[in-house]
Amino acid sequence: MSTQDKVTINKLPTGVPGLDEIVGGGLPEFSFNIIAGAPGSGKTTLAHQFVFANATPERPALYFTVLGESAIKMLRYQQQYTFFNPAMLPGSIRFINLSQVVLEKDLGAVLEQITKEVEKANPAVVVVDSFRTMVRKPESDMDLQSFIQRLALFLASWQATTFLIGEYAEDELRDNPIFTVADGLLWLRQTAERNSIVRKLQVIKLRGQDSVPGLHTFRITDAGVQAFSRTFGLTARKRNPPSDRRLSFGIAELDKMLGGGVREGDSVLIAGPSGTGKSVLATQFIAEGIRQGEPGIVAVFEERPQAYAERAAGLGLDLETPQKDGKLTILYLRPLDLSVDETMHSILDAVQKIGAKRLVIDSLAGFEMALSPGFRADFRESLYRMIFALTGIGVTILSTVEVDESFTEFPFSTYSISFLTDDIIRLRYVSIDGQLRKIMVVIKMRGGNHAKDIREYEITDKGVVILGKRLANYQGLISGIPVHSDRPDQTEEPSLDTGIEPTT
Amino acid sequence: MTTAPKMRDLAHQLLVYEAGAGKASEPLESPTLRVYEKLRQSLSIFAGVAAFESLAFRALMQAKSEAPDLWPVQVAAGGSLQGLGEFEPQIDMDKYLAGAFPVDDGGIVLIARLLGLLLIFLGEALTLSLLRNAWPGEAFDDRNSMHGRNA
Repeated sequence: MSTQDKVTINKLPTGVPGLDEIVGGGLPEFSFNIIAGAPGSGKTTLAHQFVFANATPERPALYFTVLGESAIKMLRYQQQYTFFNPAMLPGSIRFINLSQVVLEKDLGAVLEQITKEVEKANPAVVVVDSFRTMVRKPESDMDLQSFIQRLALFLASWQATTFLIGEYAEDELRDNPIFTVADGLLWLRQTAERNSIVRKLQVIKLRGQDSVPGLHTFRITDAGVQAFSRTFGLTARKRNPPSDRRLSFGIAELDKMLGGGVREGDSVLIAGPSGTGKSVLATQFIAEGIRQGEPGIVAVFEERPQAYAERAAGLGLDLETPQKDGKLTILYLRPLDLSVDETMHSILDAVQKIGAKRLVIDSLAGFEMALSPGFRADFRESLYRMIFALTGIGVTILSTVEVDESFTEFPFSTYSISFLTDDIIRLRYVSIDGQLRKIMVVIKMRGGNHAKDIREYEITDKGVVILGKRLANYQGLISGIPVHSDRPDQTEEPSLDTGIEPTT
Repeated sequence: MTTAPKMRDLAHQLLVYEAGAGKASEPLESPTLRVYEKLRQSLSIFAGVAAFESLAFRALMQAKSEAPDLWPVQVAAGGSLQGLGEFEPQIDMDKYLAGAFPVDDGGIVLIARLLGLLLIFLGEALTLSLLRNAWPGEAFDDRNSMHGRNA
């Protein structure tokens, strides 16, 4: 059968930001879906968003309420959401209460009542909230599975997209025959982790659609449910081929150490202890990008954007003007209660909004601390996914990370995240001639040669300034307590590594 | 506590509408009962019989403190109103149509209280949507807030 012979299944917008991407572009028209989860997990709100996104006066939505929350109370709360448009009631969205039929009769009568209302209204969307409360009488002539099967057949023939909402616990998912009837099964869950609530949704089943597997975090705000795909909506985008273009730091000597600059699309890690100038380097990197016409994003977690811009101004770098011109966004991600995917989405939205070519994350430690505790376990995995997605579309990412300095070790990072990065620049303190000085070395560059030299630098009112030549007359520099040797200072250009990567 | 002036105005509007409609078709049925029944049918479908019963019972309790004539009136099972006929037929329909309602008119007070509860729970926009659905031929002015009388 050729492609043109196959039936086309229209995809309906869910009305839930982020969910369309998760379900593979929208929910299949005429599908029979179950939204399951514990009380308070957002099932009704999600259904309302779908209803408000799809109902029309010609093909309205019928929203059947059964026992439990009354429609008056439900609407009292639901109308607080920004998606709620009261003008759509009752022309496009009609609420019908079935509690009397459920209480006084059996499931057969409920089906009859639904049938009557559907035939009268010819709806595009039908919601039954909550279908589980309909099972009132054990001696009912029709069991719930049979009821759902007949309801599914009937509503499909009436070309209605249907949602049954039910309260189910996690362990009820297995071997439940009701779920076999459904074309789509969305599972919403919320768990308390330490002092935070973590909400996640899963598309357990969706016939005919290529949905994104796994657990996706979601949030309920005054705009309703917002979902955050694990793949950040970037899976469908084609990865750019590796670029040979080099991006400058605006520090000539550092660019030389990097073999001409950072390769476009790389992920760079600047690691060092507090006060060694990681943020200064990051600021210079972003400012140089703007100078060269490359929009940038700075995600800060430890200081507010104004303070960040003021600190840059102290280095002679103007970050105010590019912000006004839409060339730079300084994102301050409010700490302590963020899901990792939500944070990543904020960054991605900003990147896509201004077409950013450079992204600074300052710092990874601050990023992790900004997450609610339950999400910290996912931090590295989510960071990996975001870096992979963004670098794939040509964004160059520079992250800073603080490492605990010791005078016996030379760790590259306390996060074991070196595998996430293409390039690593390590900063550290050394004790030389009775002074605590600073040195930097390029540890790794995945895309080519880099200098092996250990260079001394200072932080001045012009930013990071690399001093002199490599420190050839000291040994044991990376220990922090070098020993002076009698070898003369080197005068040649920085020597380049052969590209052999150190073990990180 | 008395009914909000705007709620009385709205109740008046509905009663006048039904008095006019009733005069043509069912002259013996009271306007209050006609308005109440339309609200009952609309709200019972929307929110369920039990929810309407609760609202109606509360509205009647509030109305009785303001309009003693309503004391014989009861909300029956299913939300229907009983006992209203004992005083309603004495109301002069011509006065209704002319808008000459006595301040303590039980019918107005009861309907205004019911509308007031809807306003509290559902807000102005949804309440007006429900009214437009029940009285499709009637214009409800939502340019002015239901929370206060027009200037």
